[in-house]
Amino acid sequence: MSGDIRLRREFIATSLLLLVLALLPLAMRDVYWLGVLVVSAYFAILASSWNLLAGFTGQFSLAPAAFAMIGAYGAALSAAYYNVPPLIGLLIGTVSAGLIGLVLGRIVMRLRGPYLALTTLSFAEIVRLVASNSINITRGDLGLPLEPWFNDRVIWFYVFLSALTFVICGLYLLLRSQAGLFLEAIRDDEIAAARSGVRIVFWKTAAFAISSAAAGFAGALYAYFASLVTPELGLVQQTGLVVSMTVIGGMGSLIGPVVGAFLVYVTSEWLRDVGGWQLVIFAALVIVFARLFRAGLWGLVITALAPRRKLA
Amino acid sequence: MTYASHLTIAAFAFSTSLAASACAADPIKVGVTVTQSPPGSVVQGTQVKDGLEVVAKMLNDQGGVLGRPIELVIEDTQGLPEKARAAVEKLITRDKVVGIVGEHQSSNVLAGMEVAHRYHIPYINTNGWADAIREKGYPEVFNPNNYNRRVAMAAAESIKKLGAKKVVAFAENTDYGIGLAKGIGEQLKTVAPEISYRFDTLDRAAKDYLPAILPLRADPPDVVVDVMLPPAAYIMMNQVYEQGVAPSAKTWFYDASGLADYPDFWQNIKEAGKDLLVFGLYHPKMKAPELAKTVGDAYTKKTGAQPNRLLYQAADSLLVLTDAIKRANSTEPDALVKALEATKYTGTRGEITFSNESGYKFHQWLDIPYVTFQVTEIGQKVADSPLVEQPGQPLDPSKLAHP
Amino acid sequence: MLSGALAADLAVNGLVTGLFYGLMAIGLALIFGVLRIVNFAHGEFYMVGAYAYTIIAARLGVPLFVALPSAFLFGAALGWVVERTLMRPLYANIGSWGLMRDEYAVIVTFGLSLLLVNLVDKAIGPYAFRAPALVSASRVVVGPALMSGQKVAAAVVTLAALALIALFLRFSYWGRAVRAVSQNRLGASLAGIDATAVSSLVFALAGGLAALAGALLSPIINASPDVGAFPAIKSYVIVVLGGMGSIPGAFVASLLLGLVESFGAVLVSYQYRDTFGLVLLILFLLFRPQGLFGERGREV
Repeated sequence: MSGDIRLRREFIATSLLLLVLALLPLAMRDVYWLGVLVVSAYFAILASSWNLLAGFTGQFSLAPAAFAMIGAYGAALSAAYYNVPPLIGLLIGTVSAGLIGLVLGRIVMRLRGPYLALTTLSFAEIVRLVASNSINITRGDLGLPLEPWFNDRVIWFYVFLSALTFVICGLYLLLRSQAGLFLEAIRDDEIAAARSGVRIVFWKTAAFAISSAAAGFAGALYAYFASLVTPELGLVQQTGLVVSMTVIGGMGSLIGPVVGAFLVYVTSEWLRDVGGWQLVIFAALVIVFARLFRAGLWGLVITALAPRRKLA
Repeated sequence: MTYASHLTIAAFAFSTSLAASACAADPIKVGVTVTQSPPGSVVQGTQVKDGLEVVAKMLNDQGGVLGRPIELVIEDTQGLPEKARAAVEKLITRDKVVGIVGEHQSSNVLAGMEVAHRYHIPYINTNGWADAIREKGYPEVFNPNNYNRRVAMAAAESIKKLGAKKVVAFAENTDYGIGLAKGIGEQLKTVAPEISYRFDTLDRAAKDYLPAILPLRADPPDVVVDVMLPPAAYIMMNQVYEQGVAPSAKTWFYDASGLADYPDFWQNIKEAGKDLLVFGLYHPKMKAPELAKTVGDAYTKKTGAQPNRLLYQAADSLLVLTDAIKRANSTEPDALVKALEATKYTGTRGEITFSNESGYKFHQWLDIPYVTFQVTEIGQKVADSPLVEQPGQPLDPSKLAHP
Repeated sequence: MLSGALAADLAVNGLVTGLFYGLMAIGLALIFGVLRIVNFAHGEFYMVGAYAYTIIAARLGVPLFVALPSAFLFGAALGWVVERTLMRPLYANIGSWGLMRDEYAVIVTFGLSLLLVNLVDKAIGPYAFRAPALVSASRVVVGPALMSGQKVAAAVVTLAALALIALFLRFSYWGRAVRAVSQNRLGASLAGIDATAVSSLVFALAGGLAALAGALLSPIINASPDVGAFPAIKSYVIVVLGGMGSIPGAFVASLLLGLVESFGAVLVSYQYRDTFGLVLLILFLLFRPQGLFGERGREV
């Protein structure tokens, strides 16, 4: 099966999933669970943007949470010091994360595997340490408060869902275009791709910048939702969550990170009252999937459906 | 069988039936946010949680409030503002609690009370000392506990009495730490402008404070002030002692955070604790209402630990809220806030009222009792430590033991 | 600006800290040398060691000189199991990762780190545990400096452990096998060295050493589920500075990092001292990926 058809199938499946989610408030108006879905959508954007790097380009960054934090602080700092309205704050957060991503992506271009992972992890830790220790500017661990954009949970839910839809459509268009082919060529064999004329530096850096901007966008949006920005957003554990969601859902597919994010986050809220073993279970799942089945849950679904298709 | 015993049995039967009917009724849910895992202070969180549970049980054994049992819904914040915010959000929207109590960390109060304010739900601050909490002027927030300005004044007076010329404080990087360290500086400027004072901000997640402490070794100050909480405070205190800075013949160690009544204090501190001067919000030698003994005994029975300040602060937080529910005869937010403002209730530490002045006094119980005591032996119980400052009196240097 | 006494204090403090960093980091360097991967669960071996020592000594009341080696053995056993179950796809070509072995290693060790942290958090609890000290004195005079007794004892044990490791790698058959596989896995296999056994050995050794570090420091830095984060980060920095996979390089880099942090905190900035090493790490990976002493030409 060609990559194009596969991608279209994933896009259709994702669209269906988003449609089902969009209809949810008709049946359920519980403020708390809407909040849970909002956070899930936040993670779905982060996981999808990380998947563009890790799943489609083979760049294993460990900094998605750091970029979300940069986006959040971009919005919160501009609001706190220049009284910027939310839409502009959102733009500032997204652009600052994108620009920093552009620079970092260009710098780490040559690095692969463990070297890339170490560099991005160090970058993430530096950004977080600076945010939490620059007390005079960021108020450190206490966090920067923000005026919430609006309070209605249903509105927030649709705002996040639209943001997620926007990101998914953007990714789909990007991957469907020639750029998608180039990125996959780079992932599978960088040297061969270069030999056949793919502009490696350009595409890898672009992927890094786009992914960072998307993470920053999610972070800035989240800042207005939570109305408090703390360095915690950039903790390595948050990146761990993003990686887990992507791996469990299915790396390198458009739908995997979205399924993974909603499944992991909603389930862990749901299991919250039964002792909180959910993180243990999810971490174990990550190892099991990584060890035995790289394509994740989505891959399992495809395999399960495949024989029936042949019969029909 | 005597008449009296008949009466007792009848009374007993009546009260159990009352209690049983209370249990059958719809419970009144009270939200609790406490730290149950690091990096926040689990020890504080556990003291508060135990204290609240003791009081909730006492209330329910007496038939509950308005004939309904009190149910505590407890959430862990890990001492992180973001988690505290989410926890209060969850308690109000999912569990539909009538009020929030228990928070023991300023940064978390500041994050959580925003949510309570947005949903207009009463928020009883159990142990957030930062003045900023009061200065916000939120009508839902009430403070039956200590405030930074009061410690700052107490510390400044004590430091002056100690005859210090040079003072260094170590503050943790939180609203509490930085706020109090700054406050002590401001108070010192008013009461003793000749004293040179500075503070270093330390990261409470760090494991080693030596680089901040070593420069003091060559040129030790007269007083080192602790404005940090465990576990970071223990590491800092041990290292300050290890480097021979304080407590020493030259330098006093003044503990503005009141660490010595923590249950794990002597598991973590040895020689570094001897000769420590402690700002104390509770001391067994302080005068206290009857209720304090009842609550303290129930606490000791439940946990095996001695009563402590956080127990009483937690107890009063819940009692103030239930008192307001009783007087308002309702759990509606507006009625509750109104009733809380009119509070005149004798809890475990004295008669609690809330000021209506703005600024750091807003919705604050102004006359929080406190003492200063000195730890004179390694492993000493708080009850055995001598008071060097009685409530309402200045520190008495003649009572001090010199290292 | 720096008095002589303060400089001496900072130097002693930096070197002792560096010594501990060395014990934490050497295992990571060994693993990188043999398997060419970074173990992102390295800090969790440290954490497990701290808990093993604390529980064995404080709860079960076992004498400290038995508890310490037990912690080492516990970490070693865990390392061996991890290698057997999770690291095989790296060289046996099983699993679904094919060419993406680096990526597999990052994900699986990252997942392992999450698993161990959360498992301990749920099974033992989030509370910090304080371990019994080998030497309980709060203050000991060491030359010009003052130190806690436990720190002195831990430094002595660390020195001994590092010396033993050096001797082992230099003179024993298995030590030479480890070095041979590090230099050339294929060549060593052709020469009849069991590279698979060497991989298991290295993981066990790395787990044991990190656990020993955790045990030695647990009376100073309380054991808690997330205590592994800082030794892990320090170890990454050291392994990069020392040249990925180089053992002597890692040792020198450890001492250097200890000194840089100690002096930097006073001379440059106390607030940002934890970022110094990380900045060095990035600069080295970009401009001198072979580390302080490595040869050029290592593939990055």
